[in-house]
Amino acid sequence: MSSSPFVLVGLVQNETLKVLRRKRLRIVLLVLGLILTLVVFAQARQRSNERKDNPTRDWKASVEKRASELERRMQGRRVPEGWARWMKFEAARLRYHLEKNIDPDQISGPMFARGFAGIGSVLLIPLLIAVIGSDLVSSEFSEGTVTLLLTRPVARWKVLLSKYVTGLLFSTITLLAAFLLAWLISGTSFGFRGWGAPVLTGFKFGAAGFDAAGVRVVALWQDTLAAYGLAWISALAVSSITLLLSVLFRSTAAAMGTMMATLIGGTILSRVASDWEGAKWFFVTNLPLPDFYAGMPTPFAGMTLAFSVQVLAAWSVAAVAAAFIVFSRRDVTSAA
Amino acid sequence: MTEIVLAAENLAKKYGEREVVSDVSFALHRGEVFGFLGPNGAGKTTTIRMLVGLVKPTRGRVLIEGRDLAADFEGAMRRVGCIVETPDLYKFLSGRENLEHFARMVGNGAEGRIAELAALVKMNGRLDDRVGTYSLGMRQRVGIAQALLADPAILILDEPTNGLDPAGIREMRGLIRHLAEDRGIAVFVSSHLLVEIERICDRVAIVQRGRTLAEGSIADLTQNGARSLEELFLEKTGGESV
Repeated sequence: MSSSPFVLVGLVQNETLKVLRRKRLRIVLLVLGLILTLVVFAQARQRSNERKDNPTRDWKASVEKRASELERRMQGRRVPEGWARWMKFEAARLRYHLEKNIDPDQISGPMFARGFAGIGSVLLIPLLIAVIGSDLVSSEFSEGTVTLLLTRPVARWKVLLSKYVTGLLFSTITLLAAFLLAWLISGTSFGFRGWGAPVLTGFKFGAAGFDAAGVRVVALWQDTLAAYGLAWISALAVSSITLLLSVLFRSTAAAMGTMMATLIGGTILSRVASDWEGAKWFFVTNLPLPDFYAGMPTPFAGMTLAFSVQVLAAWSVAAVAAAFIVFSRRDVTSAA
Repeated sequence: MTEIVLAAENLAKKYGEREVVSDVSFALHRGEVFGFLGPNGAGKTTTIRMLVGLVKPTRGRVLIEGRDLAADFEGAMRRVGCIVETPDLYKFLSGRENLEHFARMVGNGAEGRIAELAALVKMNGRLDDRVGTYSLGMRQRVGIAQALLADPAILILDEPTNGLDPAGIREMRGLIRHLAEDRGIAVFVSSHLLVEIERICDRVAIVQRGRTLAEGSIADLTQNGARSLEELFLEKTGGESV
Protein backbone atom coordinates (compact mmCIF):
# COMPACT_ATOMS: atom_id res chain seq x y z
CA MET A 1 0.00 0.00 0.00
CA SER A 2 1.47 3.32 -0.98
CA SER A 3 0.27 6.20 1.12
CA SER A 4 -1.23 9.20 -0.69
CA PRO A 5 1.04 12.00 0.49
CA PHE A 6 4.08 9.98 -0.50
CA VAL A 7 2.69 9.31 -3.97
CA LEU A 8 1.87 13.00 -4.42
CA VAL A 9 5.48 14.00 -3.74
CA GLY A 10 6.61 11.53 -6.42
CA LEU A 11 4.01 12.85 -8.84
CA VAL A 12 5.09 16.47 -8.36
CA GLN A 13 8.68 15.30 -8.87
CA ASN A 14 7.58 13.69 -12.17
CA GLU A 15 5.79 16.81 -13.38
CA THR A 16 8.72 19.03 -12.42
CA LEU A 17 11.10 16.77 -14.35
CA LYS A 18 8.88 17.00 -17.44
CA VAL A 19 8.55 20.79 -17.27
CA LEU A 20 12.31 21.21 -16.91
CA ARG A 21 13.08 18.82 -19.75
CA ARG A 22 10.67 20.50 -22.13
CA LYS A 23 12.92 23.56 -21.93
CA ARG A 24 9.95 25.93 -21.76
CA LEU A 25 11.28 27.51 -18.57
CA ARG A 26 14.58 28.34 -20.25
CA ILE A 27 12.78 30.12 -23.08
CA VAL A 28 10.65 32.06 -20.60
CA LEU A 29 13.71 33.19 -18.65
CA LEU A 30 15.45 34.14 -21.86
CA VAL A 31 12.48 36.24 -23.03
CA LEU A 32 12.29 37.94 -19.63
CA GLY A 33 15.99 38.70 -19.69
CA LEU A 34 15.87 40.10 -23.23
CA ILE A 35 12.84 42.31 -22.63
CA LEU A 36 14.26 43.65 -19.36
CA THR A 37 17.61 44.38 -20.99
CA LEU A 38 15.83 46.29 -23.72
CA VAL A 39 13.72 48.34 -21.29
CA VAL A 40 16.67 49.15 -19.05
CA PHE A 41 18.74 50.15 -22.08
CA ALA A 42 15.98 52.46 -23.31
CA GLN A 43 15.53 54.05 -19.89
CA ALA A 44 19.27 54.57 -19.46
CA ARG A 45 19.40 56.28 -22.86
CA GLN A 46 16.52 58.54 -21.95
CA ARG A 47 18.22 59.47 -18.67
CA SER A 48 21.48 60.36 -20.34
CA ASN A 49 19.68 62.47 -22.95
CA GLU A 50 17.82 64.34 -20.24
CA ARG A 51 21.05 64.99 -18.45
CA LYS A 52 22.60 66.31 -21.63
CA ASP A 53 19.71 68.75 -22.18
CA ASN A 54 19.69 69.86 -18.59
CA PRO A 55 23.08 69.34 -16.96
CA THR A 56 22.18 70.93 -13.65
CA ARG A 57 18.99 69.01 -13.26
CA ASP A 58 16.87 70.12 -10.36
CA TRP A 59 14.19 67.49 -9.83
CA LYS A 60 12.01 69.87 -7.84
CA ALA A 61 11.91 72.34 -10.71
CA SER A 62 11.04 69.71 -13.31
CA VAL A 63 8.35 68.06 -11.15
CA GLU A 64 6.89 71.48 -10.44
CA LYS A 65 6.84 72.14 -14.16
CA ARG A 66 5.05 68.84 -14.89
CA ALA A 67 2.47 69.44 -12.17
CA SER A 68 1.57 72.92 -13.36
CA GLU A 69 1.46 71.71 -16.97
CA LEU A 70 -1.09 69.07 -15.96
CA GLU A 71 -3.11 71.61 -13.98
CA ARG A 72 -3.17 73.93 -16.96
CA ARG A 73 -4.27 71.20 -19.36
CA MET A 74 -7.06 69.81 -17.23
CA GLN A 75 -8.76 73.20 -17.36
CA GLY A 76 -9.04 72.77 -21.11
CA ARG A 77 -12.59 72.65 -22.43
CA ARG A 78 -12.26 69.63 -24.71
CA VAL A 79 -10.57 67.30 -22.25
CA PRO A 80 -12.72 64.18 -21.62
CA GLU A 81 -13.86 63.82 -18.05
CA GLY A 82 -11.89 60.65 -17.41
CA TRP A 83 -8.69 62.27 -18.57
CA ALA A 84 -9.34 65.36 -16.50
CA ARG A 85 -9.78 63.21 -13.42
CA TRP A 86 -6.55 61.39 -14.12
CA MET A 87 -4.62 64.64 -14.67
CA LYS A 88 -5.98 66.01 -11.43
CA PHE A 89 -4.85 62.86 -9.66
CA GLU A 90 -1.39 62.91 -11.20
CA ALA A 91 -0.83 66.60 -10.51
CA ALA A 92 -1.87 66.17 -6.89
CA ARG A 93 0.40 63.13 -6.57
CA LEU A 94 3.36 65.14 -7.85
CA ARG A 95 2.61 68.04 -5.52
CA TYR A 96 2.43 65.60 -2.62
CA HIS A 97 5.92 64.37 -3.46
CA LEU A 98 7.21 67.95 -3.58
CA GLU A 99 5.70 68.61 -0.21
CA LYS A 100 7.36 65.52 1.31
CA ASN A 101 10.63 66.27 -0.49
CA ILE A 102 10.73 62.84 -2.23
CA ASP A 103 11.69 62.64 -5.90
CA PRO A 104 8.87 60.69 -7.64
CA ASP A 105 11.19 59.77 -10.50
CA GLN A 106 14.22 58.65 -8.55
CA ILE A 107 15.64 55.68 -10.34
CA SER A 108 17.65 52.79 -8.92
CA GLY A 109 17.81 49.05 -9.47
CA PRO A 110 15.44 48.42 -6.55
CA MET A 111 13.07 51.14 -7.77
CA PHE A 112 12.98 49.61 -11.22
CA ALA A 113 12.31 46.14 -9.77
CA ARG A 114 9.43 47.58 -7.76
CA GLY A 115 7.95 49.21 -10.85
CA PHE A 116 8.23 46.01 -12.84
CA ALA A 117 5.80 44.23 -10.48
CA GLY A 118 3.06 46.53 -11.77
CA ILE A 119 4.04 46.75 -15.44
CA GLY A 120 4.87 43.04 -15.63
CA SER A 121 1.67 41.72 -14.11
CA VAL A 122 -0.52 43.56 -16.61
CA LEU A 123 0.47 41.27 -19.46
CA LEU A 124 4.05 39.98 -19.67
CA ILE A 125 4.17 37.74 -16.58
CA PRO A 126 0.68 36.26 -17.24
CA LEU A 127 1.74 35.45 -20.81
CA LEU A 128 4.89 33.70 -19.64
CA ILE A 129 2.94 31.72 -17.04
CA ALA A 130 0.51 30.67 -19.77
CA VAL A 131 3.45 29.47 -21.88
CA ILE A 132 4.64 27.18 -19.09
CA GLY A 133 1.24 26.05 -17.83
CA SER A 134 -0.72 25.45 -21.00
CA ASP A 135 0.97 22.17 -21.92
CA LEU A 136 0.83 20.57 -18.47
CA VAL A 137 -2.22 18.48 -19.37
CA SER A 138 -2.74 19.07 -23.10
CA SER A 139 0.69 17.72 -24.06
CA GLU A 140 -0.10 14.37 -22.42
CA PHE A 141 -3.04 14.08 -24.79
CA SER A 142 -1.31 15.34 -27.92
CA GLU A 143 1.73 13.12 -27.33
CA GLY A 144 -0.36 10.07 -26.43
CA THR A 145 1.32 9.59 -23.04
CA VAL A 146 -2.01 10.10 -21.28
CA THR A 147 -2.90 6.42 -21.74
CA LEU A 148 0.10 5.37 -19.66
CA LEU A 149 -0.30 8.17 -17.16
CA LEU A 150 -3.93 7.32 -16.41
CA THR A 151 -3.56 3.53 -16.29
CA ARG A 152 -1.20 3.59 -13.34
CA PRO A 153 -2.67 2.88 -9.90
CA VAL A 154 -3.13 6.57 -9.13
CA ALA A 155 -6.55 8.23 -9.10
CA ARG A 156 -7.04 10.91 -11.74
CA TRP A 157 -7.58 13.70 -9.24
CA LYS A 158 -4.15 13.01 -7.79
CA VAL A 159 -2.56 13.21 -11.23
CA LEU A 160 -4.26 16.54 -11.89
CA LEU A 161 -3.47 17.85 -8.42
CA SER A 162 0.23 17.15 -8.99
CA LYS A 163 0.05 19.05 -12.27
CA TYR A 164 -1.74 21.98 -10.64
CA VAL A 165 0.79 22.14 -7.80
CA THR A 166 3.62 22.04 -10.35
CA GLY A 167 1.94 24.84 -12.33
CA LEU A 168 1.69 27.00 -9.19
CA LEU A 169 5.30 26.21 -8.38
CA PHE A 170 6.58 27.31 -11.77
CA SER A 171 4.37 30.43 -11.76
CA THR A 172 6.03 31.36 -8.49
CA ILE A 173 9.46 30.65 -9.93
CA THR A 174 8.65 32.80 -12.98
CA LEU A 175 7.61 35.71 -10.76
CA LEU A 176 10.69 35.38 -8.55
CA ALA A 177 12.87 35.23 -11.65
CA ALA A 178 11.14 38.34 -13.00
CA PHE A 179 11.94 40.18 -9.77
CA LEU A 180 15.56 39.03 -9.64
CA LEU A 181 16.23 39.73 -13.31
CA ALA A 182 14.58 43.16 -13.08
CA TRP A 183 16.78 44.06 -10.14
CA LEU A 184 20.02 42.58 -11.49
CA ILE A 185 19.69 43.89 -15.04
CA SER A 186 18.58 47.39 -14.05
CA GLY A 187 21.15 47.39 -11.26
CA THR A 188 23.99 47.33 -13.76
CA SER A 189 22.79 50.72 -15.09
CA PHE A 190 21.07 52.34 -12.11
CA GLY A 191 22.86 50.75 -9.15
CA PHE A 192 21.89 47.80 -6.99
CA ARG A 193 21.40 49.66 -3.73
CA GLY A 194 18.62 51.77 -2.37
CA TRP A 195 16.19 49.29 -0.80
CA GLY A 196 15.80 51.59 2.20
CA ALA A 197 14.75 54.67 0.20
CA PRO A 198 11.49 56.23 1.35
CA VAL A 199 8.54 56.01 -1.03
CA LEU A 200 5.01 57.33 -0.83
CA THR A 201 2.27 54.77 -1.02
CA GLY A 202 -1.48 54.57 -0.47
CA PHE A 203 -2.71 57.13 -2.99
CA LYS A 204 -6.30 56.65 -4.00
CA PHE A 205 -7.92 57.56 -7.24
CA GLY A 206 -11.25 58.62 -5.80
CA ALA A 207 -14.38 60.14 -7.27
CA ALA A 208 -12.96 63.61 -6.79
CA GLY A 209 -9.74 62.55 -8.48
CA PHE A 210 -7.24 62.57 -5.65
CA ASP A 211 -7.55 61.14 -2.19
CA ALA A 212 -4.50 61.41 0.06
CA ALA A 213 -6.14 60.19 3.25
CA GLY A 214 -4.26 56.86 3.25
CA VAL A 215 -0.88 58.10 2.01
CA ARG A 216 2.14 57.12 4.09
CA VAL A 217 5.91 56.89 3.73
CA VAL A 218 7.37 53.38 3.72
CA ALA A 219 10.77 51.92 2.91
CA LEU A 220 11.11 50.77 -0.68
CA TRP A 221 11.71 47.15 0.31
CA GLN A 222 8.38 47.07 2.15
CA ASP A 223 6.56 48.54 -0.81
CA THR A 224 8.27 46.03 -3.13
CA LEU A 225 7.35 43.10 -0.92
CA ALA A 226 3.71 44.14 -0.92
CA ALA A 227 3.71 44.69 -4.69
CA TYR A 228 5.22 41.28 -5.47
CA GLY A 229 2.92 39.60 -2.95
CA LEU A 230 -0.02 40.98 -4.91
CA ALA A 231 1.61 40.10 -8.23
CA TRP A 232 1.87 36.56 -6.86
CA ILE A 233 -1.90 36.44 -6.30
CA SER A 234 -2.37 37.45 -9.95
CA ALA A 235 0.14 34.82 -11.04
CA LEU A 236 -1.66 32.06 -9.14
CA ALA A 237 -4.97 33.11 -10.71
CA VAL A 238 -3.48 32.99 -14.21
CA SER A 239 -1.99 29.60 -13.44
CA SER A 240 -5.37 28.26 -12.25
CA ILE A 241 -7.22 29.44 -15.33
CA THR A 242 -4.45 28.08 -17.57
CA LEU A 243 -4.93 24.67 -15.94
CA LEU A 244 -8.57 24.60 -17.06
CA LEU A 245 -7.64 25.50 -20.65
CA SER A 246 -4.94 22.85 -20.65
CA VAL A 247 -7.54 20.28 -19.58
CA LEU A 248 -10.14 21.44 -22.11
CA PHE A 249 -7.84 21.46 -25.13
CA ARG A 250 -5.99 18.42 -26.41
CA SER A 251 -3.60 20.64 -28.32
CA THR A 252 -1.07 22.76 -26.46
CA ALA A 253 -1.13 25.36 -29.21
CA ALA A 254 -4.89 25.76 -28.83
CA ALA A 255 -4.67 26.06 -25.03
CA MET A 256 -1.82 28.56 -25.19
CA GLY A 257 -3.38 30.52 -28.04
CA THR A 258 -6.71 30.84 -26.24
CA MET A 259 -5.08 32.00 -23.01
CA MET A 260 -2.90 34.54 -24.84
CA ALA A 261 -5.82 35.89 -26.85
CA THR A 262 -7.84 36.21 -23.63
CA LEU A 263 -5.05 38.06 -21.84
CA ILE A 264 -4.35 40.42 -24.72
CA GLY A 265 -8.07 40.92 -25.40
CA GLY A 266 -8.70 41.71 -21.74
CA THR A 267 -5.87 44.22 -21.69
CA ILE A 268 -7.30 45.97 -24.74
CA LEU A 269 -10.73 45.96 -23.09
CA SER A 270 -9.27 47.72 -20.04
CA ARG A 271 -7.88 50.44 -22.27
CA VAL A 272 -10.83 51.16 -24.52
CA ALA A 273 -14.09 50.22 -22.83
CA SER A 274 -13.98 52.16 -19.57
CA ASP A 275 -17.68 53.00 -19.91
CA TRP A 276 -18.81 49.39 -19.74
CA GLU A 277 -18.65 48.61 -16.07
CA GLY A 278 -19.46 44.92 -16.56
CA ALA A 279 -15.89 44.38 -17.70
CA LYS A 280 -14.75 44.69 -14.10
CA TRP A 281 -15.97 41.12 -13.53
CA PHE A 282 -13.55 39.79 -16.15
CA PHE A 283 -10.42 38.29 -14.59
CA VAL A 284 -7.92 39.95 -16.94
CA THR A 285 -8.97 43.49 -16.02
CA ASN A 286 -8.27 42.63 -12.36
CA LEU A 287 -4.73 41.32 -12.86
CA PRO A 288 -2.69 44.54 -12.27
CA LEU A 289 -3.05 44.28 -8.47
CA PRO A 290 0.31 45.97 -7.73
CA ASP A 291 -0.83 49.01 -9.74
CA PHE A 292 -4.12 49.20 -7.86
CA TYR A 293 -2.20 48.95 -4.60
CA ALA A 294 0.08 51.78 -5.69
CA GLY A 295 -3.00 53.92 -6.16
CA MET A 296 -3.03 54.00 -9.94
CA PRO A 297 -6.48 54.54 -11.39
CA THR A 298 -8.43 51.29 -11.89
CA PRO A 299 -9.65 50.71 -15.45
CA PHE A 300 -13.30 50.60 -14.40
CA ALA A 301 -15.33 52.42 -11.80
CA GLY A 302 -16.25 50.45 -8.71
CA MET A 303 -13.01 48.46 -8.57
CA THR A 304 -10.86 48.34 -5.47
CA LEU A 305 -7.90 46.21 -4.50
CA ALA A 306 -10.08 44.00 -2.31
CA PHE A 307 -12.67 43.67 -5.06
CA SER A 308 -10.05 42.58 -7.58
CA VAL A 309 -8.53 40.02 -5.23
CA GLN A 310 -11.98 38.54 -4.67
CA VAL A 311 -12.80 38.43 -8.38
CA LEU A 312 -9.49 36.66 -9.08
CA ALA A 313 -10.10 34.19 -6.25
CA ALA A 314 -13.60 33.38 -7.53
CA TRP A 315 -12.32 32.81 -11.09
CA SER A 316 -9.53 30.60 -9.80
CA VAL A 317 -11.77 28.42 -7.65
CA ALA A 318 -14.30 28.01 -10.46
CA ALA A 319 -11.63 27.20 -13.06
CA VAL A 320 -9.87 24.64 -10.88
CA ALA A 321 -13.17 22.98 -9.89
CA ALA A 322 -14.20 22.72 -13.54
CA ALA A 323 -10.77 21.34 -14.47
CA PHE A 324 -11.02 18.58 -11.85
CA ILE A 325 -14.57 17.65 -12.84
CA VAL A 326 -13.80 17.47 -16.56
CA PHE A 327 -10.50 15.64 -16.08
CA SER A 328 -11.88 12.94 -13.77
CA ARG A 329 -14.96 12.24 -15.85
CA ARG A 330 -13.57 12.37 -19.35
CA ASP A 331 -13.33 9.23 -21.47
CA VAL A 332 -9.83 8.92 -22.91
CA THR A 333 -10.44 7.68 -26.42
CA SER A 334 -7.88 7.10 -29.17
CA ALA A 335 -5.19 9.71 -29.22
CA ALA A 336 -6.16 12.17 -31.91
CA MET B 1 -10.24 -24.52 -13.64
CA THR B 2 -7.62 -21.99 -12.53
CA GLU B 3 -8.36 -18.79 -10.69
CA ILE B 4 -9.98 -15.91 -12.61
CA VAL B 5 -7.87 -12.72 -12.35
CA LEU B 6 -9.86 -10.44 -14.62
CA ALA B 7 -13.51 -10.63 -15.55
CA ALA B 8 -15.29 -8.41 -18.06
CA GLU B 9 -19.03 -8.63 -17.36
CA ASN B 10 -21.50 -7.48 -20.03
CA LEU B 11 -19.50 -4.41 -20.99
CA ALA B 12 -21.30 -1.84 -23.12
CA LYS B 13 -20.33 1.64 -24.27
CA LYS B 14 -22.47 4.22 -25.98
CA TYR B 15 -21.17 7.50 -27.39
CA GLY B 16 -24.33 9.54 -27.77
CA GLU B 17 -26.62 7.35 -29.84
CA ARG B 18 -23.83 5.21 -31.26
CA GLU B 19 -23.29 1.96 -29.42
CA VAL B 20 -19.67 0.92 -29.95
CA VAL B 21 -19.72 -2.04 -27.58
CA SER B 22 -23.01 -3.82 -26.87
CA ASP B 23 -22.25 -6.83 -24.73
CA VAL B 24 -18.72 -8.10 -24.20
CA SER B 25 -17.90 -10.68 -21.51
CA PHE B 26 -14.89 -12.88 -20.93
CA ALA B 27 -12.62 -14.10 -18.16
CA LEU B 28 -8.86 -14.18 -17.85
CA HIS B 29 -7.21 -16.96 -15.82
CA ARG B 30 -3.95 -16.84 -13.91
CA GLY B 31 -0.92 -17.66 -16.02
CA GLU B 32 -2.65 -17.97 -19.40
CA VAL B 33 -2.16 -16.09 -22.63
CA PHE B 34 -5.53 -14.85 -23.79
CA GLY B 35 -6.17 -13.69 -27.35
CA PHE B 36 -8.71 -10.98 -28.13
CA LEU B 37 -9.74 -11.19 -31.78
CA GLY B 38 -12.10 -9.21 -33.90
CA PRO B 39 -12.44 -7.36 -37.18
CA ASN B 40 -11.74 -3.64 -37.33
CA GLY B 41 -14.54 -1.65 -35.74
CA ALA B 42 -15.66 -4.62 -33.62
CA GLY B 43 -15.10 -2.60 -30.46
CA LYS B 44 -11.73 -4.10 -29.48
CA THR B 45 -10.03 -0.82 -28.69
CA THR B 46 -12.98 0.56 -26.72
CA THR B 47 -13.17 -2.70 -24.75
CA ILE B 48 -9.46 -2.54 -23.89
CA ARG B 49 -9.87 1.08 -22.83
CA MET B 50 -12.70 0.02 -20.54
CA LEU B 51 -10.53 -2.74 -19.03
CA VAL B 52 -7.94 -0.20 -17.86
CA GLY B 53 -10.29 2.59 -16.80
CA LEU B 54 -9.61 5.04 -19.63
CA VAL B 55 -13.22 4.80 -20.80
CA LYS B 56 -16.12 4.35 -18.40
CA PRO B 57 -18.57 1.61 -19.42
CA THR B 58 -22.20 2.61 -19.96
CA ARG B 59 -23.20 -0.80 -18.61
CA GLY B 60 -21.38 -3.75 -17.13
CA ARG B 61 -18.28 -3.87 -14.99
CA VAL B 62 -14.65 -4.98 -14.85
CA LEU B 63 -13.44 -7.07 -11.91
CA ILE B 64 -9.69 -7.34 -11.32
CA GLU B 65 -8.84 -9.96 -8.71
CA GLY B 66 -12.31 -9.40 -7.34
CA ARG B 67 -12.03 -5.60 -7.12
CA ASP B 68 -14.50 -3.50 -9.08
CA LEU B 69 -12.45 -1.18 -11.31
CA ALA B 70 -15.02 1.63 -11.13
CA ALA B 71 -15.27 1.52 -7.33
CA ASP B 72 -11.62 0.93 -6.47
CA PHE B 73 -9.51 2.14 -9.37
CA GLU B 74 -6.21 2.34 -7.48
CA GLY B 75 -6.63 -1.05 -5.80
CA ALA B 76 -7.58 -2.75 -9.04
CA MET B 77 -4.92 -1.15 -11.25
CA ARG B 78 -2.14 -1.93 -8.78
CA ARG B 79 -2.14 -5.45 -10.25
CA VAL B 80 -2.30 -4.45 -13.93
CA GLY B 81 0.37 -3.54 -16.44
CA CYS B 82 -0.67 -2.42 -19.91
CA ILE B 83 0.27 -0.97 -23.25
CA VAL B 84 -2.75 0.56 -24.99
CA GLU B 85 -2.23 0.99 -28.73
CA THR B 86 1.28 2.31 -29.36
CA PRO B 87 3.74 2.46 -26.44
CA ASP B 88 3.80 6.26 -26.18
CA LEU B 89 6.57 7.15 -23.76
CA TYR B 90 7.98 10.60 -23.09
CA LYS B 91 10.24 11.10 -26.10
CA PHE B 92 12.28 13.88 -24.48
CA LEU B 93 13.23 11.64 -21.54
CA SER B 94 15.56 8.66 -21.59
CA GLY B 95 14.26 5.11 -21.26
CA ARG B 96 15.50 5.01 -17.68
CA GLU B 97 13.84 8.32 -16.81
CA ASN B 98 10.58 7.03 -18.26
CA LEU B 99 10.81 3.92 -16.11
CA GLU B 100 11.66 6.00 -13.03
CA HIS B 101 8.71 8.29 -13.81
CA PHE B 102 6.23 5.42 -13.87
CA ALA B 103 7.93 3.63 -10.95
CA ARG B 104 7.22 6.68 -8.80
CA MET B 105 3.54 6.34 -9.70
CA VAL B 106 3.49 2.66 -8.80
CA GLY B 107 5.40 2.86 -5.51
CA ASN B 108 6.07 -0.43 -3.73
CA GLY B 109 9.79 -0.28 -4.43
CA ALA B 110 9.26 -0.45 -8.19
CA GLU B 111 12.37 1.65 -8.75
CA GLY B 112 14.47 -1.23 -7.48
CA ARG B 113 13.19 -3.49 -10.28
CA ILE B 114 14.26 -1.23 -13.17
CA ALA B 115 17.66 -2.86 -13.73
CA GLU B 116 16.23 -6.38 -13.69
CA LEU B 117 13.39 -5.47 -16.07
CA ALA B 118 15.72 -3.65 -18.45
CA ALA B 119 17.78 -6.83 -18.65
CA LEU B 120 14.66 -8.94 -19.19
CA VAL B 121 13.61 -6.88 -22.25
CA LYS B 122 17.26 -6.60 -23.38
CA MET B 123 17.36 -2.82 -23.18
CA ASN B 124 20.13 -2.27 -20.64
CA GLY B 125 22.53 -1.04 -23.33
CA ARG B 126 20.41 1.86 -24.59
CA LEU B 127 18.48 2.73 -21.46
CA ASP B 128 20.13 6.13 -21.02
CA ASP B 129 19.41 7.31 -24.56
CA ARG B 130 16.42 9.51 -25.26
CA VAL B 131 13.29 7.56 -26.22
CA GLY B 132 12.99 9.80 -29.27
CA THR B 133 15.99 7.99 -30.74
CA TYR B 134 14.49 4.50 -30.20
CA SER B 135 13.03 2.25 -32.88
CA LEU B 136 9.45 1.07 -32.48
CA GLY B 137 10.69 -2.31 -31.28
CA MET B 138 12.79 -0.69 -28.59
CA ARG B 139 9.92 1.49 -27.47
CA GLN B 140 7.73 -1.61 -27.33
CA ARG B 141 10.29 -3.32 -25.08
CA VAL B 142 10.63 -0.35 -22.72
CA GLY B 143 6.82 -0.23 -22.72
CA ILE B 144 6.73 -3.83 -21.52
CA ALA B 145 9.35 -3.16 -18.87
CA GLN B 146 7.18 -0.25 -17.75
CA ALA B 147 4.11 -2.50 -17.61
CA LEU B 148 5.98 -5.00 -15.45
CA LEU B 149 7.14 -2.39 -12.90
CA ALA B 150 4.15 -3.00 -10.66
CA ASP B 151 4.87 -6.74 -10.58
CA PRO B 152 1.44 -7.28 -12.12
CA ALA B 153 -0.84 -10.31 -12.12
CA ILE B 154 -2.30 -9.14 -15.42
CA LEU B 155 -0.58 -7.75 -18.48
CA ILE B 156 -2.71 -6.14 -21.19
CA LEU B 157 -1.01 -5.75 -24.57
CA ASP B 158 -2.71 -4.13 -27.52
CA GLU B 159 -1.28 -5.44 -30.83
CA PRO B 160 2.14 -6.19 -29.27
CA THR B 161 3.76 -7.41 -32.49
CA ASN B 162 2.50 -4.55 -34.64
CA GLY B 163 5.32 -2.95 -36.59
CA LEU B 164 7.99 -5.39 -35.39
CA ASP B 165 10.36 -7.20 -37.75
CA PRO B 166 10.34 -11.03 -37.85
CA ALA B 167 13.12 -11.29 -35.28
CA GLY B 168 11.32 -8.85 -33.04
CA ILE B 169 8.05 -10.77 -33.37
CA ARG B 170 9.80 -13.98 -32.42
CA GLU B 171 11.39 -12.36 -29.42
CA MET B 172 8.10 -10.84 -28.30
CA ARG B 173 6.43 -14.24 -28.60
CA GLY B 174 9.12 -15.80 -26.39
CA LEU B 175 8.80 -13.00 -23.84
CA ILE B 176 5.03 -13.34 -23.60
CA ARG B 177 5.21 -17.12 -23.12
CA HIS B 178 7.94 -16.64 -20.50
CA LEU B 179 5.86 -14.15 -18.53
CA ALA B 180 2.83 -16.44 -18.53
CA GLU B 181 4.54 -19.76 -17.90
CA ASP B 182 7.39 -18.80 -15.56
CA ARG B 183 5.93 -15.81 -13.76
CA GLY B 184 2.27 -16.81 -13.68
CA ILE B 185 1.13 -13.55 -15.28
CA ALA B 186 -2.16 -13.60 -17.18
CA VAL B 187 -1.38 -11.95 -20.52
CA PHE B 188 -4.20 -10.40 -22.54
CA VAL B 189 -3.20 -9.92 -26.17
CA SER B 190 -5.28 -8.24 -28.84
CA SER B 191 -4.24 -8.86 -32.38
CA HIS B 192 -5.57 -8.98 -35.89
CA LEU B 193 -2.89 -11.53 -36.82
CA LEU B 194 -4.65 -14.88 -36.49
CA VAL B 195 -1.46 -16.88 -36.87
CA GLU B 196 0.15 -14.91 -34.08
CA ILE B 197 -2.79 -15.52 -31.78
CA GLU B 198 -2.87 -19.21 -32.65
CA ARG B 199 0.82 -19.51 -31.83
CA ILE B 200 0.98 -17.79 -28.50
CA CYS B 201 -2.48 -17.97 -26.96
CA ASP B 202 -4.03 -20.63 -24.77
CA ARG B 203 -7.55 -19.27 -25.08
CA VAL B 204 -9.27 -16.70 -27.24
CA ALA B 205 -12.39 -14.57 -27.40
CA ILE B 206 -13.81 -13.44 -30.74
CA VAL B 207 -15.76 -10.19 -30.85
CA GLN B 208 -17.80 -8.65 -33.59
CA ARG B 209 -20.14 -5.67 -33.69
CA GLY B 210 -19.51 -5.12 -30.02
CA ARG B 211 -20.46 -8.63 -28.86
CA THR B 212 -18.46 -11.71 -27.86
CA LEU B 213 -19.24 -14.43 -30.38
CA ALA B 214 -17.08 -17.18 -28.93
CA GLU B 215 -14.74 -17.76 -26.03
CA GLY B 216 -12.72 -20.88 -25.29
CA SER B 217 -9.41 -22.67 -25.58
CA ILE B 218 -7.90 -22.82 -29.04
CA ALA B 219 -7.98 -26.63 -28.86
CA ASP B 220 -11.72 -26.66 -28.16
CA LEU B 221 -12.60 -24.02 -30.68
CA THR B 222 -10.66 -25.65 -33.50
CA GLN B 223 -11.81 -29.13 -32.46
CA ASN B 224 -8.24 -30.12 -31.73
CA GLY B 225 -6.93 -28.83 -35.02
CA ALA B 226 -9.67 -30.29 -37.24
CA ARG B 227 -10.07 -26.83 -38.64
CA SER B 228 -7.92 -23.73 -38.46
CA LEU B 229 -8.59 -20.72 -36.31
CA GLU B 230 -8.90 -18.77 -39.53
CA GLU B 231 -11.83 -20.89 -40.72
CA LEU B 232 -13.50 -20.56 -37.36
CA PHE B 233 -12.92 -16.84 -37.35
CA LEU B 234 -14.34 -16.32 -40.82
CA GLU B 235 -17.29 -18.51 -40.00
CA LYS B 236 -18.05 -16.62 -36.80
CA THR B 237 -17.59 -13.16 -38.22
CA GLY B 238 -19.25 -13.91 -41.54
CA GLY B 239 -16.09 -13.21 -43.53
CA GLU B 240 -15.74 -9.55 -42.65
CA SER B 241 -12.25 -8.27 -43.18
CA VAL B 242 -10.01 -8.08 -40.16
